[in-house]
Amino acid sequence: MKMFWEFLTFELRFRRKSISTYVYFFVWSAFSFLCVASENFGPVGFNNGKVLLNGPWAISLNDFLISLFGIIIIAAIFGTSILRDFQRDTYQILFTKPIPKFAYLGGRWAGSFVTAVFAFSGCMLGAFAGTFAPWTDHARIGPNHLWWYLQPFLSIIVVQIFFLGSLFFVVAALSRKIFVVYLQGAVLFMVYLIGLTVFSATRSLERFWSGIFDPVGLQLTDAVTRYWTVVEKNSLLLSWSPHVASGVFLYNRVLWLSVGFISLGVLWALFPMSVETLTAVSQGRRAAKMKQQEEFELRPVRSLVAARLPKVGQVFSPSTTRAQFLSLSRLRIRTVLHEIPLWAIVGLMIVFAINNGYYAGRVDEIDVWPVTYLMLQAVEGGATLFLYIVAALYAAELIWRERDTHFDGIHDALPMSETIDWLSKLVTIAFVELVLLTVTMLCGIFMQTIAGYYHYELLQYFKELYVITFPQIMVFALLALFIQTIVSNKFIGHGIAIGIFVLVPIIFSFGWENTLYLFGNVPPYTYSDMNGYGHFVAGLSWAITYWLAISGFLGVIAITFARRGSDDGWTARLKLAAGRVPRLVPVALLFLVIAAGSGAWYYYNAHVLNEYLNAKQRRDIQADYERQFKKYQDLLQPKVTAVDSQIDIDPTHRGFSGWGRYTLQNKTSQPISEIHITDQMQSISNLRFDRPFHLVSSAPRDLYSIYAIEQPLAPGDVMQMTFDVSAKSPGFRDSNERAELAYNGTFFDSTYFPYIGYNSSMELDDPRRRREEKLAPLQELSQRGDPMESKYQIFLQDSDWITYHTVVSTTSDQIAIAPGYPKRDWQQNGRHYFEYDMGPTHILDFFAYISARYNVRREQYKGTNLEVYYHPGHEYDIDDMLAATKAGLDYYQANFSDYQFSQFRIMEFPRYRQFAQSFPNTVPYSESIGFIERMVKKNAIDFTYFVTAHELGHQWWAHQLIGANVQGSNMLSETLAEYSALMVMQHKYGRDRMHRFLRHELDRYLRGRSTEVRHEPPLALVQREPYVWYQKGGQIMYTLADYVGEDKVDLALHNFLMKYRYANAMNAQTEDYPDTRQLVDALRAQTPPDMQYLIDDGFNSIVLYDNKAISATVAPTSDHKFKVVFTAQARKIKADGNGNESPMPLNDYIDIGVFKGQKDEEQPLYLKKERLTQELNTFEIVVDEMPTWAGIDPYNKLVDRIADDNMIEVTKP
Amino acid sequence: MTVTISGLSKTYPNGVKALMNVSLSIGNNMFGLLGPNGAGKSTLMRTVATLQDPDSGSVHVDGLDVLTQKNEVRKILGYLPQEFGVYPKISALDMLHHLAVMKGVTHAQDRREMVDALLQQTNLWEVRKKALSTYSGGMKQRFGIAQALLANPRLIIVDEPTAGLDPAERNRFLNLLSSIGREVTVILSTHIVDDVRELCARMAIIANGEVLLEGVPTEALTALNGKIWSKVVSTDDELRSLESQIHIVSTHLVGGQHEIRIFADSSPGDGFRAVESELEDVYFLNLSQPTKKAN
Repeated sequence: MKMFWEFLTFELRFRRKSISTYVYFFVWSAFSFLCVASENFGPVGFNNGKVLLNGPWAISLNDFLISLFGIIIIAAIFGTSILRDFQRDTYQILFTKPIPKFAYLGGRWAGSFVTAVFAFSGCMLGAFAGTFAPWTDHARIGPNHLWWYLQPFLSIIVVQIFFLGSLFFVVAALSRKIFVVYLQGAVLFMVYLIGLTVFSATRSLERFWSGIFDPVGLQLTDAVTRYWTVVEKNSLLLSWSPHVASGVFLYNRVLWLSVGFISLGVLWALFPMSVETLTAVSQGRRAAKMKQQEEFELRPVRSLVAARLPKVGQVFSPSTTRAQFLSLSRLRIRTVLHEIPLWAIVGLMIVFAINNGYYAGRVDEIDVWPVTYLMLQAVEGGATLFLYIVAALYAAELIWRERDTHFDGIHDALPMSETIDWLSKLVTIAFVELVLLTVTMLCGIFMQTIAGYYHYELLQYFKELYVITFPQIMVFALLALFIQTIVSNKFIGHGIAIGIFVLVPIIFSFGWENTLYLFGNVPPYTYSDMNGYGHFVAGLSWAITYWLAISGFLGVIAITFARRGSDDGWTARLKLAAGRVPRLVPVALLFLVIAAGSGAWYYYNAHVLNEYLNAKQRRDIQADYERQFKKYQDLLQPKVTAVDSQIDIDPTHRGFSGWGRYTLQNKTSQPISEIHITDQMQSISNLRFDRPFHLVSSAPRDLYSIYAIEQPLAPGDVMQMTFDVSAKSPGFRDSNERAELAYNGTFFDSTYFPYIGYNSSMELDDPRRRREEKLAPLQELSQRGDPMESKYQIFLQDSDWITYHTVVSTTSDQIAIAPGYPKRDWQQNGRHYFEYDMGPTHILDFFAYISARYNVRREQYKGTNLEVYYHPGHEYDIDDMLAATKAGLDYYQANFSDYQFSQFRIMEFPRYRQFAQSFPNTVPYSESIGFIERMVKKNAIDFTYFVTAHELGHQWWAHQLIGANVQGSNMLSETLAEYSALMVMQHKYGRDRMHRFLRHELDRYLRGRSTEVRHEPPLALVQREPYVWYQKGGQIMYTLADYVGEDKVDLALHNFLMKYRYANAMNAQTEDYPDTRQLVDALRAQTPPDMQYLIDDGFNSIVLYDNKAISATVAPTSDHKFKVVFTAQARKIKADGNGNESPMPLNDYIDIGVFKGQKDEEQPLYLKKERLTQELNTFEIVVDEMPTWAGIDPYNKLVDRIADDNMIEVTKP
Repeated sequence: MTVTISGLSKTYPNGVKALMNVSLSIGNNMFGLLGPNGAGKSTLMRTVATLQDPDSGSVHVDGLDVLTQKNEVRKILGYLPQEFGVYPKISALDMLHHLAVMKGVTHAQDRREMVDALLQQTNLWEVRKKALSTYSGGMKQRFGIAQALLANPRLIIVDEPTAGLDPAERNRFLNLLSSIGREVTVILSTHIVDDVRELCARMAIIANGEVLLEGVPTEALTALNGKIWSKVVSTDDELRSLESQIHIVSTHLVGGQHEIRIFADSSPGDGFRAVESELEDVYFLNLSQPTKKAN
């Protein structure tokens, strides 16, 4: 024991003197400090404006991240403690003394453990200090609870240190090679990341085993806290109880603690305390080497007379310089290629690329074709980090190699210039990077082939990898070379390089977004099959040029200060530099001129031709608009009743121009003498009325203008307002390019047109951002039945319904589309003109202009023209879209009402925006979500089919019936479109397939409510919560149809629709728009009395179930049947908007089922809704065949936070 | 070829005075630089080999200013540093070819002949394709010698070249050097007196950054003729008492007894016999009496 203390105290003394201990402590303090003190840093800051930055969930999450990034530090602390003896050969002295194994290993281990715990404890100090930072959002800092710091630290980080530390310690002790320890750390880190990508790529909903087997904990937190509401996140710690989240956390901790103990046991059993055994291998190897060398020494002795050396010619000419350069580069490349770490990196990179490539583009069990941009995203995304690591690593190795190997004496005295020496190092890095990029490309092509996609687009690979990525890597490599040349130590250099690499995104998130001062930064770009690299090319290439020139300049400085000779002092280096300056000045100047020139050009484009605004400044504009003009929100204004326009799209210059004419009608009872105009996109000019008027005031940027008309508009009267509308894209911007305007794939909508009055949709809605702008909380929508707001519709308050006509033109090779029936189509002056007219049909004041080089697929279906405008090559899903459209038309016309148009058109647009949107009879559809879907597996989810049916559904739900501008109305369009699509999908794919889809919808709803920034409303009162109106709404309606009957629900919807559609379509605004009260009433009318609770629960409150299968046994009966005894738990909970839960009495129908067949392919033998009134219920069910599974609510029709535990395997008693 | 070193001084940042006003003139043939460890030999060699600048003073090689025309000097230079390592995983053959290219031997045929000849000379032919990192210390040293002789350098600077060589290889190397040294300037630093005695036409003894003696070894020996006396001392006590009385140049153990050598114009007394002077006497004498220049 005394010896143990001896070793322990020695270890601790050693660590106390070691600077690295304090560096680790500081690193974690700083990390945690920033996590708490800055919303722009760490995993929680961005997460949700209501989650406390020092709350238990936030601290736990930070601790898990620390566990992840701490892997290498744990390896460093534990690995080195035992390797020290072997690196310094002290083991010879040590193990010849009688030291007990326990003292040696235990002392070293315990010392490392204490050191590691100390180093990591910095995170608590940092987080605590962060809560006092005066600049943080103190709405997100709660009172400090000691236990909230300690519990996560002990149960996350200390456990991690114990388990990983022991593992590293064992590996170090048994392998006795530091390389192996670091390799193990790196491999663990990488493999873990790969595992996470696999998991997130598959979007598996499995959370139990993946949570338990997660050695670091990110998956584990997700498993436990995925659906935690804000209240829970701010009050609950990860509990060791077996009853919380099925005990996942407990089992995980126990598992990994055991691994730690087992490691130590293995070490105890296998570690030999004798010098011979410890060094047997290396001694053997050394002996063999010695023997070999001796053999050479003992060759027959040659004559001692020295033969004369031949005379050779020395030439020093430019060609010699070239030869020297080649020889140096070849030598360096060969050395690098001989190194094992490089191949380890390549190997890992391939694993990453193959893995990511396998899941390329896959989201939520929806398979897509791995088109080249998706494949590149997958393989390059995984490789990028490696590319940067290699650049940093080899920059250091190459700069320091001669010194590290002590070859500098010979090397530096060679007759060569520093320039070629230095350039050959650069070339070596470039070569290695090109190899890696090529490997990446081959992986991509390979994985495309595996996936059966043979349209390789090599040119795109080439551009992306060699033209865009490669120069960016070289910019970083040049920086790293520069740093390594200047600093006096390789590791300081690494520190600085990593610092800069990490700092750039951090600085960016703090609002410093300018490409011109963020080192190596280039504006973001997106490749689109329709538009290629399109308008991003200019900004991207100038930014790359700029940074290449700057890093080239740094390179020249580095050459100037390159070390040469034995004197490393700065006086000597400055003297050497002074000698080199004259030769290097021209090149330096050249780089400076290029940097200045490209920088100036970039600045001119991004800051002069275009207005440059960072995210904060853009929010300031929104906030100013609200502050100044919200007072006009309730001002009475005329409504738009007709729109005519002529728009000339200029795709070549990414712009359009034209004019529009609104017919405005005063639908109020007061005369109106002032017209207020919001010009959100700054696209309006020359606005005029059909009567004398003058401009009263105009806000900066013309966001809001007030016009006085000299002859007030009397109630019921109509007038014309005409305006010019245009948009231009001069030069290029520093990010934030307008996605609406593209060379191929223009798609902009009526937000470019004037909005009458104040537009509340421009208000900031993130509470954090509102606090930052000192704005009061966002105004809630009015109560249902509000007499004022019921006269306005939820979507656009400046109109009811309009008639619409337009002439739109584009270049002669493109097709231009807008809502309306095509009237004419002609070529004139090299342009292609189209006239569209909606005739007398009323539509929402919501229209769009689309133009691209399209192929068109046309079909007639029962009198409706169906058209799909698609990018040539994207033929994959057109049949699917048409099938969904036909099925939808049939279903909606049969069950809801007639289709109001005689055409339905889908048109593809570039993936800069990823959605489909329903305009009247016109649906722009992003290329990435519907046009490359692929149905491979037989039970895959057909998302294209679903989205198409959903958008078609909006032609009823929105374009026929729109709700009042009050709470709940958004669900009248979105939930009902969702329901419509679910029904269409169910008819095609059957109920069983719907289960899989709905599980994902349930998951999204539960995740959505866990990130709620305000408060979660019941469905019928939904305001701005998409997860409620899509996912929850769909689920509630689907379940209602299942319980009450699809025909009953459809009938209710039909009645509701026919009664309230086209409110206020005629003359004055006399009618009230409908709201959810009428919908709920209509549904209630079709619901039998004993199921009325479904309406109350589903629409008017937030109800969650906690259903769980407890046990199921089967026994054969005398008549050769099978009797199942099934026990299930049923619980019902009510939640408030913040997530506070209270139990509810149970008196509900819940599915009880017995199944045969394997999991996920099970088939019901028995399925019945049972009325349950108590928590524990036992059922005796007799079935004809041998059952395998039994379940309560097995199809997850009810909102259940743990949907996994509803089924249980049937066992024999 | 003449190397003229004048007034060279160098003080390191840690205060060590490596060179103090060193002046030497070195002509063709071999020049030996003799001195104990830390005398400043390596600093002087590195300075001539363009790797380091002095604080003051100048070095000229046949009209080339070493301090300002470094690259010109490097073209005619062959340098073997005192300590050097090698790139891992590169063979001697490849490395010599590379270094030959770097030294301007761009003609492939020339280069091959030279590299092969050197590999033969340094007895590395058999292992020429083996990675340098697998070489033993002696083999590595021979490789260092080979690379220093590439491209017929006219100025060869070898810093402790015989360290780590076994006696046979040392002899072979000294032979090689002397066969070359007749036409070119070779500066050889060593702390082994025999190296200088066997090879060098001229020499300098350097200690604590100062030149204690510069001249022809035989002349230095002649100057000591008849002035070196030797005596065998049997006990430590006797040695101790002698030490306090007279200045001892050196002692050797001969069969477990001390043989002491002293410097005196006439017989210092009982038991001493006159012996022939050796270069080692010159060396030790100069080291022990830094102020007195025996020339």
